Amino acid sequence: MKLSCIIVEDIQIAADFLRKFCEKSDLVEVKGHFLNVSDALEYLDREKVDLLFLDIEMPGANGFDLLDRLTYSPMIILTTSKTEYAFNAFQYHVDDYLKKPFTFKRFQESIQKLQLKSAAVQASAVAPPVSAPSTDTDFLFIKAEDKLIKLKKDDILFLESMRDYVKFVTPARNYITYSTLKNMEEKLIGPNFLKVHRSYIVNITKIDDIRGNTIYLLGNQIPIGKGHRDEVAAKLNIL
Amino acid sequence: MPNIRSGFVFDECLNSAFLAELFDGDTIYAETVFEDFLRDLPVYWQRVDNAFENENLPVLGTCVHTCKTLFGYVGFTDLQELCQQFENNCSVNRMDDLRDDYRLLTERKEKAQRVIEKEYNRLREYNEANG
Repeated sequence: MKLSCIIVEDIQIAADFLRKFCEKSDLVEVKGHFLNVSDALEYLDREKVDLLFLDIEMPGANGFDLLDRLTYSPMIILTTSKTEYAFNAFQYHVDDYLKKPFTFKRFQESIQKLQLKSAAVQASAVAPPVSAPSTDTDFLFIKAEDKLIKLKKDDILFLESMRDYVKFVTPARNYITYSTLKNMEEKLIGPNFLKVHRSYIVNITKIDDIRGNTIYLLGNQIPIGKGHRDEVAAKLNIL
Repeated sequence: MPNIRSGFVFDECLNSAFLAELFDGDTIYAETVFEDFLRDLPVYWQRVDNAFENENLPVLGTCVHTCKTLFGYVGFTDLQELCQQFENNCSVNRMDDLRDDYRLLTERKEKAQRVIEKEYNRLREYNEANG
């Protein structure tokens, strides 16, 4: 399946090359090209894409400003002619970094790497065993520490996104698996789990109390995201 | 180095090995890119000149950065390096320290523009002949 993407790039020649490479690869579908961050954000508020090709230095806001304001987590390939941004790229957990101008071969390597990564994320979300009595089991398996670990759903306090990884927090210990919160939300979690923030899914049966916009559970404090407050209020029967 | 796939040989001042890989024998697209370069460079360089006249070093660095990227797409690897040095100097030097470098960079840019004009014409003729 093709990855949908947008190109955020102020230099037309660079954007044209990217578009041409996307067409040639047949692995990526370009949904749009934006010359600046504000136009790109306006589009991303309406539409979701799998991948952003993002330049850093543009007039007005830069590429990192866009990443700060994104409300979801598509895959990111930075396209820049400066190598100095590598550290920032690492901090922002970008998926790859293409130094302009780059060849089709380098582009293709990057896209194939993302496809493998995407497939690995999907595969790491292991469904319950075939012998399980029904799909709505009270446990799940996660890939961590080179094995499949069985976790009782009831033992999970909350899940925390760590970009390409998810941390499962239980009273006894934490487990980190290679996946995304979105994947967990869609495939594994039952009715007792609620996304309360872009980085957190909480087991609502474990909540001790809520103060302001913070959930307290077993000594942990979880923020409630602005966009999730109504849903939290509805789900928790807050009177 | 000759472009094996297309038979077109780029000017020796350009990084022809890189261009051969970048265009992969597609001289029609190379012609388009060289044409776009000639269209865009004067616009971007005007911003460089304006920033220099206004003695706005941060903007000057950013504008040279953009031109550096453009030079890369037509194979001026050495000019890219010169732009990078100038861009770095914009963040640490004073305006007076940059005047000689700016003059040199402008001369190199003009020479580059002439080379690309010539290469664009050669590409156009080559593509017409090999239609």
